[in-house]
Amino acid sequence: MFQALVSYASQFARDLQRSLSGRQAVGREATEHGYSAKPDYMPLERVLLTDGVGRTLFEEYAEHQVGSRGEEETGWVLLGVREEREAIVLGTLPAGTERDAGVGHVQFNSAGQIVGSRIIRQFDRRLTILGIVHTHPGSLRHPSDGDLRGDSGWVGQLRGREGIFGIGTADVKPSPGVAVAYQPKPNMQCLDKLRLSWYALREGDKNYRPLPVVLTLGPDLARPLHSVWSVIEMHADRLDRLCRQQSGITFEVVTGKQEPALAVTVPLAQAGHTLRVMLEGKEGRYYWLRDGELLLVDPKESRVDRAVYLLLAELAATTN
Amino acid sequence: MDFRPLNDTERRQLITALRGNAEHDRCILMDRRDTSFIGTVDEVTDEEVISAIKSVPCHY
Repeated sequence: MFQALVSYASQFARDLQRSLSGRQAVGREATEHGYSAKPDYMPLERVLLTDGVGRTLFEEYAEHQVGSRGEEETGWVLLGVREEREAIVLGTLPAGTERDAGVGHVQFNSAGQIVGSRIIRQFDRRLTILGIVHTHPGSLRHPSDGDLRGDSGWVGQLRGREGIFGIGTADVKPSPGVAVAYQPKPNMQCLDKLRLSWYALREGDKNYRPLPVVLTLGPDLARPLHSVWSVIEMHADRLDRLCRQQSGITFEVVTGKQEPALAVTVPLAQAGHTLRVMLEGKEGRYYWLRDGELLLVDPKESRVDRAVYLLLAELAATTN
Repeated sequence: MDFRPLNDTERRQLITALRGNAEHDRCILMDRRDTSFIGTVDEVTDEEVISAIKSVPCHY
């Protein structure tokens, strides 16, 4: 599906090389002057999407269109790295099944996205919120006046006081044959009947400006989470509370009994001992990993944070 | 090998970086050629990310 865009691989390689050599230059400069490598944010000149992120956006937009809520608007929060003059999008956090949406609006379910951001950022603490993508039901390829009112106040808290905004529309006349992505304009990507138009908005700007988009090779770090997103949303507040209260908690998506599961690992004081929670659908299973031995335990509690604390209390009671 | 003492700015930056490493697990960057201190990674706090997510406005 992405053959046309991937055909730009040599261009991407050159861009990537230039970006990397730019970073090396910053490093050299930092070495010579002995100061922090913290970037001095300038207005964005372009946004780089990894092919993983591009696939997620187009594929999930297409799935949304044919789903039971296809008439509604939907969207994603974009996570990535903000550099001096460009941003690299490395992850997508979906609006969530518990979003508030209709034909003319979408409000994301932030509870799931907060936990999603915690999970993704356990691997790279540079990842920040870069902006959002949302869809329009008709052919309005530009953010609306209502979007501008909300985004104008929001972008002030983003790195560089600037945000990236993608608008999805399903207004392309598909060509016959295999769908291949292409860019009719520097800030526009089309695939089959779907179009993504990219803009930037900086604090104090009176309007959005078109933002050139470039595809490069790389993952959508959040894509594995999308398969367990309903589980994340179901337990979001309690998982977030656990993360704030217990240090060292880690997450991973694993194969469950019937479907993908979210595994939560809680380190214990004794070396080689951990609690492991497997959340699959509505079910939660709890294990005590003790020196390589795995013990299934039942805290008889459906709320994941209470269950973990009951087990911790039980383990504390058995410790000499 | 250069054993020159750090100047005030360098010393202040190194202390900040060491404190960030000890208290918040932040990385300290080292020049691979001579192991000198070259700054810190620009990490983003959970609070900054979560605040931005919580305040994403409704879109129309």
